[in-house]
Amino acid sequence: MPDRGTELRRLSMVGASGSWDWDIRGGVLRADAGFAALHGLNAQDMAVGVETACFFRAIHVDDRPRIRIAVAGMLAGAELFSKEFRILLPDGAVLWVHARGQTHLDEQDEPVRFMGVLVDVTERKRAEERLRIAQSAGGVGTFEYMDGFATVSVSDEFCRLLGLHPASVLPVQTVNAVVRPGEPPLFPVNAEGDAGLADDLEGVFAITRADDGAQRWIARRGEKLHEGAGYRLIGVVYDVTTSKQLETALRELNDTLEHRVEQEVANRREAEEALRQAQKMEAVGQLTGGIAHDFNNLLMAIQSSLTLLQKRLPGDPHTDRLIDNAMQGAQRGAALTQRMLAFARRQDLTPVRVEVEALVRGMTDLVQRTIGPAWWLDLDFPAHLPPVTADVNQLEMAVLNLAVNARDAMPDGGVIRIGACAQTVAEGAPSGLAPGRYIGLSVVDAGVGMDEATLSRATEPFFTTKGVGKGTGLGLSMIHGLAKQLGGTFSLESTLGNGTTAILWLPASEEVQAEAAAPAAVERDAASMGSLKILAVDDDWLILMNTGALLEDLGHQVFEAGSGEEALACLRDNPDIDVLITDQAMPGMTGTQLVGHVATLRPDLPIILASGYGEIPADARARIIKLGKPFGQAQLENALAQALQVVSG
Amino acid sequence: MTPESIVLEELERDALTEIVNIGVSRAASSLRKMIGDQVLLSVPSIDVVSQRRAARLISERETSELVAVRQGFSGPFSGRALLIFPESNSLALVRAVTGGEMSAEDMADIEVEALAETGNVILNSCLATMANMLRRSLTMTIPEVLRGTGDTLFEVDGAETANGLVLFLYIDFSVRSRNIRGYIAMIMDLPSLAMLKELLAEFIRRIVGDDA
Repeated sequence: MPDRGTELRRLSMVGASGSWDWDIRGGVLRADAGFAALHGLNAQDMAVGVETACFFRAIHVDDRPRIRIAVAGMLAGAELFSKEFRILLPDGAVLWVHARGQTHLDEQDEPVRFMGVLVDVTERKRAEERLRIAQSAGGVGTFEYMDGFATVSVSDEFCRLLGLHPASVLPVQTVNAVVRPGEPPLFPVNAEGDAGLADDLEGVFAITRADDGAQRWIARRGEKLHEGAGYRLIGVVYDVTTSKQLETALRELNDTLEHRVEQEVANRREAEEALRQAQKMEAVGQLTGGIAHDFNNLLMAIQSSLTLLQKRLPGDPHTDRLIDNAMQGAQRGAALTQRMLAFARRQDLTPVRVEVEALVRGMTDLVQRTIGPAWWLDLDFPAHLPPVTADVNQLEMAVLNLAVNARDAMPDGGVIRIGACAQTVAEGAPSGLAPGRYIGLSVVDAGVGMDEATLSRATEPFFTTKGVGKGTGLGLSMIHGLAKQLGGTFSLESTLGNGTTAILWLPASEEVQAEAAAPAAVERDAASMGSLKILAVDDDWLILMNTGALLEDLGHQVFEAGSGEEALACLRDNPDIDVLITDQAMPGMTGTQLVGHVATLRPDLPIILASGYGEIPADARARIIKLGKPFGQAQLENALAQALQVVSG
Repeated sequence: MTPESIVLEELERDALTEIVNIGVSRAASSLRKMIGDQVLLSVPSIDVVSQRRAARLISERETSELVAVRQGFSGPFSGRALLIFPESNSLALVRAVTGGEMSAEDMADIEVEALAETGNVILNSCLATMANMLRRSLTMTIPEVLRGTGDTLFEVDGAETANGLVLFLYIDFSVRSRNIRGYIAMIMDLPSLAMLKELLAEFIRRIVGDDA
């Protein structure tokens, strides 16, 4: 750190200059007081002349070789000398000087004198250094352009930013060539270019860097200095690629926002629609199930009463026909409730392994007779189709139903194709099916088809396009319910005028299980059973009375209970009761709950559980005999026989 | 890319610049005698670049067609030396050299000869001075005048043959108060440049001595 005296001396030298005269032939160096002061030499000695080596003595050791080489060039014949170097003052201070010199030649072109001047440029050198560091550290390139000139003065950093070889002067054309086609030029090329030029030169330019071909964004800022009629542009350029990219990404995001929101809303609306549809179906299913259950009870009462009535009335053909009519009406009503329960997925299904092809081939006669002669069936089944697990009767009903629908879609006759295919559903498939192998049983027509609105409601119960009284509107909804209950699905594809493809997807049955032997009807006549003490339980007095009447008719003694609690009380009071027949669905205590209590009270008691629902728990004990509602006297008698056999056997 | 081993040290570049400066000064002196007027020539800086880069460098700086005077040289280091001007400058140079008293037609007639002669003086002087200062001898072929782009002058034709290096020198002319810029380029292969580097190191040791 120079002391105060040094600093003062330094200040007194700011801008100092000196001159020298090197006599080449004589080997003598002369210089003025200024030169002497800058070099820290004696002014008087310098005026007289000193040895030429003194020229180099004060030069900074790092600069000395290059200045020696330059001077050697001058002494050997070079004409111009223009060098900047550092001079080390005796007190340790360092000065930057600029030396400019020239040689004088004799007649033979041999250099005889080397003369020049020396100027202190320390301040300028430091300013240049600061500017250079500012440019390279800040990534800022500078330029200076005068209007009308074909070239522009630039800094090294300017060249680096544009990917050009460093130069101090570049043709305007070269600089403008890095700007991408279609963009305005960096520097104006004609009067028109000047017009749009703001006084702060503000602009952002898309460029293709000359060396590596990189696509970059360059910002230009500066000042337009007016000079007489013309102007001078002085300014800087810097890279703004990163912020420009962010800006572009943000704008793109913004531009597509509306579209993405629309898409999202549409997706949500679709999901809501699907949910609403599912909820509606669920509600309708609950309602249907409830109605069907109550209906079942009524039909049972009617059927039983008719049965008993037939027995007790004297044989009269007229009365018999009326009773038969009433019985058939009740049976058809029962079939209808079966379908409604199937839709509500509350039907008692008896799933067995079914060969789909055999099933369809076995019912072609029936189908053909049902649909009529103007339509014919085309069966198409691949070989080695795995069987499915399904209820045979329900599946047959489904095929028949679909065939009838196909017929109705082709009023003028045509071909109905019934076929099947196997397909594997992967994890997460959009169908909502569990992964695994499925058999698709398809019924295809070439009929009128359905529009979208009809298609979307086709599986709703009671929805029908057929005339009043022609269809129940339960066909497709029943098939839909059946498919769901068996772990499959039902798909309908149709376009107006192009026919309909209905496919019932059912899980393939993989495990080879022995055909469940149908429980052999137990033939035990009433006489062999003798007179039993039977406890009948039902919350519906009509059914209870009815069941009682049927049992009494069979010669048994009947105890009646309107609830589970009453039944338990009755059992405690009458430990000699032989059989318990209970309804499943009862308020307070269900049939299965009652069975649970009975198990502790009378573990050996034969039990019959009557239900129109398919919801008796799978783990209900085997000794319980299930009796589907509505039941007639024959079914009741058979169930009794089974119950007694299970207990005794 | 320029192989690291062949890149000239800063001092070697300074030395070569000074040697070429001596050469162009002598050329200026010869030209003064030829045309009887003031001629100043100087070489402010020097680059060592690949042929490809030299072609790109000159096309970045010059947007017009180029005119060049070319001379081959051989000795301890061999190659081709070119004196290059933008085409727009070449007629100005011819006019300056011939004194501006000729008609445009006559001048066009002698343009090639005048350029070849001027180029011969400058290139000869540079190469002779280099040989002299480096204490070796070089032989030179007769000059030829070429026109073309950076690519054609630096023999960059897309083939792999253009793998030599170029000593690229900027040259400022001042003739009869006209300022003309040009370039001197010396295309050399790697062994020649390695030899030149060695000779320059020897030259520096002689001049600088203990200060190096």
